Amino acid sequence: MTAPTIEIDDIHKRFGHTTALRGVAFDVSAGITGLLGPNGAGKTTLLRMMATVLAPDDGRLRLLGWDPHAADERLAIRRRLGYMPQEPGFHRSFTAFEFVDYVAILKEMTDRRARHDEVRRVLDAVGLESVSGRKIKALSGGMRRRVALAQALLGDPDLLVLDEPTAGLDPEQRLRFRELVSDRTADRTVMLSTHQTEDVAALCQRVVVMLDGQVLFEGTPGELTDVAEGRVWLADARAPSARLSWRTASGAHRNIGEAPAGADLVAPTLEDGYLLLVGDRAFAEEAA
Amino acid sequence: MTTTWHADPPTLEAYATGALDDVRASSLEAHLLACGTCRDGLAASVPAASLDRMWHEVVVSLDAPRPGLVERALLALRVPEHAARLLAATPSLRLSWLLAEAVALGFAALAANVASGNDADLARFLFLVFAALLPVAGIAVAFGPGVDPAYEIGAAAPMRADVLLAMRACAVLTTSLVITGCAALAMPGLDAIAAAWLLPSLGLTFVTLALGTWWRPFVAASAAALGWVAIVSIAAVASQDRLAAFRPVAQAACLAAIVVSAAVLARRHTVFEEGIVT
Repeated sequence: MTAPTIEIDDIHKRFGHTTALRGVAFDVSAGITGLLGPNGAGKTTLLRMMATVLAPDDGRLRLLGWDPHAADERLAIRRRLGYMPQEPGFHRSFTAFEFVDYVAILKEMTDRRARHDEVRRVLDAVGLESVSGRKIKALSGGMRRRVALAQALLGDPDLLVLDEPTAGLDPEQRLRFRELVSDRTADRTVMLSTHQTEDVAALCQRVVVMLDGQVLFEGTPGELTDVAEGRVWLADARAPSARLSWRTASGAHRNIGEAPAGADLVAPTLEDGYLLLVGDRAFAEEAA
Repeated sequence: MTTTWHADPPTLEAYATGALDDVRASSLEAHLLACGTCRDGLAASVPAASLDRMWHEVVVSLDAPRPGLVERALLALRVPEHAARLLAATPSLRLSWLLAEAVALGFAALAANVASGNDADLARFLFLVFAALLPVAGIAVAFGPGVDPAYEIGAAAPMRADVLLAMRACAVLTTSLVITGCAALAMPGLDAIAAAWLLPSLGLTFVTLALGTWWRPFVAASAAALGWVAIVSIAAVASQDRLAAFRPVAQAACLAAIVVSAAVLARRHTVFEEGIVT
């Protein structure tokens, strides 16, 4: 196992009366790690800390071996960081090329020729080469997200922090995104949050599930899938013991929960594991 | 027209590699225009790397974005290309904002002229108070969360936020001073008092930037503007002189405010680096 590139130890964050993170701790090594959790789980707050734009109230955070609290070390991190926020803002009067070029300047690429080559490279990588001269205000939502992804790829960063990168992308674009991210060399670290469990299953070597500002699970996608082992079954109708149940295309009901004896068990998916994990916690809190 | 001779391969190769002298190269170019056989021969002589480089140059020229009006003006003023791009992203340096500034000041000067027959001091007072506030309004929307749409992306980039803020503040201040200076020429009874907004506007700019180390720029600018209006109003009422806040003593106070604010900025400028001001 390689040395962790992100070390998070007992991180806390409050916004007024709201506690966003409470004692979050885990390490991330090179490779792709997915962050799953419902809205309000604290994913975006944590990713903003990893992007050095938000400081924790308490706890220890190290990125690429450096302390983001120290000014010179924060600068070193930012020189090797690519960040795509959850709601990226744009200078809408800029073209896609101009906007990415603007971010490239903020990333200290002052040589015009080399910078423009890099801008073209990242726009090509996200499939926007044909619309690079179009104003951002004239681009669709999916295209804008790809512009945001392109700027994060500038300089081929060692640490890529992506907050819901596939939101708003159509299936073809999502596949292209997976191709793009998985092509990155094994010694880089990609941290991405998503609501799409398929993305995690397809891309990530590790997965972290968050709920209510805490880490609920940390492990491999296979281990998360195993949470639902023996707890997913098909039946003609919704089972009373099912936590969740829906009618599938074949007409049978897919039930998730405590399977009754003799149930027609089926292989669980990562989504089943995630739903049960989050549902179990909510159920336990309700019971308490 | 039919050509009767063809360039030999060594000549074509020398031309392709740039080794042919200017006179012979010009002669060959004239021939190439009319001779397909030699053009084909030349194509085979051009090194692939040179061809790729030339093609790349063409792509670079075609793809390079044509800068907008503000950016072109900055380039004409010899502002470096990358700095011009950073400044062009400043909301308060957009053409629409600058035009709005000019129109507002034009109306203020016009109103001062119309009112000068009845109450010249009141007309001047309103113009001076408004003129001093102009750069503050520009700085309020020049930088920071909530006003710069790409602020969060920029905050994660290595470029120092305090340097970017200083660049934008300088550009906003300069444009505001030029516009206000032009409008001041239209003031009734042009004299030294027509330039009395200059030091207050510098002072308010520095105070806004200093307060911006604690608060977001918009909040800092609002606080500075409210404080300014309160001070000039109180000074006018207390001294029975509408222009009291623009007299020499007040100008000295503005200078002191600039010095104090500059000291605060020097001490606290790293705050802008620490991420989003929450």
